[in-house]
Amino acid sequence: MGPLIPNGLIPVEWNYIIAIFIGMAFGYILEASGFSSSRKLAGVFYGYDFVVLKVFFTSAVVAVIGLYYMDYLSWVDISQLYVQPTYLWAAIIGGMIMGVGFLAGGFCPGTSFCGAAIGKIDAIYFTIGLMFGIFIFAEAFDILEPLFDGSNLGHITLPDTLNMSPYWIVFIFTIIAVVSFAISDKIRNKVKKVFY
Amino acid sequence: MSKTYKSKKILVSRRYQILALVLVLLAGGLLLLPKYHKSEGISPELFVKNALSTERYINTDMLADRLINQDPTILLIDTRPEAEYNEFALPNAINIPLKDFFDEELNGYINQDIYDVILYSNDNFYSNEAWMIGNRLGYKNLYVLQGGLNEWFKTIIDPKYPDETMPQEAFELYSFRKAAGMYFGVGVAKTETLDKPKPKKKVITTPKKKKRVPEGGC
Repeated sequence: MGPLIPNGLIPVEWNYIIAIFIGMAFGYILEASGFSSSRKLAGVFYGYDFVVLKVFFTSAVVAVIGLYYMDYLSWVDISQLYVQPTYLWAAIIGGMIMGVGFLAGGFCPGTSFCGAAIGKIDAIYFTIGLMFGIFIFAEAFDILEPLFDGSNLGHITLPDTLNMSPYWIVFIFTIIAVVSFAISDKIRNKVKKVFY
Repeated sequence: MSKTYKSKKILVSRRYQILALVLVLLAGGLLLLPKYHKSEGISPELFVKNALSTERYINTDMLADRLINQDPTILLIDTRPEAEYNEFALPNAINIPLKDFFDEELNGYINQDIYDVILYSNDNFYSNEAWMIGNRLGYKNLYVLQGGLNEWFKTIIDPKYPDETMPQEAFELYSFRKAAGMYFGVGVAKTETLDKPKPKKKVITTPKKKKRVPEGGC
């Protein structure tokens, strides 16, 4: 049956409208779970608040389990889902830059707009910096292009690379998530409480 | 302390552990699901619908028209065995016998969505089989030459002169077929034997009302 849009159950024209509503819901949930506070977000690096790790890991695990059940029931054809291509070095270097920016600024791109929307001054500065970064990237694109386009590994997934059943990978991934939640709780109890 | 209160208290104080357990159980459940063979390609319902539809057929006149106009979007695939292909084949046809259909090098010709792939054989038999395999696997733009080469000979190479009582269209079709036959080399050998070559009559193909190429399928 699914995915709904590629199989024509929902006309393609609805794509952007649905995307806007999903985006609004996403922003609302981010704000409601306190993701518009840079102190809460940065807590994951200092060990006093692991909400970022927990929320994103949980959402990934819930989504992947749900998708594989729906695939089993033929509600969604998992082979039709779009898999982002992996640009190895671009991802590593981009991830490092993103990590440094996250640690220094206290926001990730999505949450910075959340913070800016409710009028947080640090978030507004962060979004200005983000735009500036985009501008510099665009201007320097000629130099960065080999990195941007290079080391393309294609649409690879863990089940294909490791030649394992996806169900086992989902199971192992879930165990890792639960164990990491337990460890993060232990760390948080040991670290001095920070009030924010 | 009542029993229900106690159990509620456990539920609240240990709710994260319980949720984590549910998550692990659900993930483990995936491993325990009974295995079943998932068929590749399009759904059986769609396949039957496509197979019953005659949209896949392209007739010989339409094909001749496209060949004469040097339509760059068609790709002719000969599904007969190689020996038969070597004896006679349509111009620019590629030979992919049915048994080599999944040959990695040749498969690229069939499994693509740039060209209209027109499959043919002596009649519809091999080409329909090839079409069915391809359609089942979700290949796009596959067509079958209706009647195959037999029909090609009957209509393009050696068309029958229409009866006098037939409508105007039948005569137009005849002259188109005759002209198309000349394009494909019928009677060329005769003109070459003449001592004094006559000025070659320009072949004007009567502009036929262009039929829409069947679209869709899958």
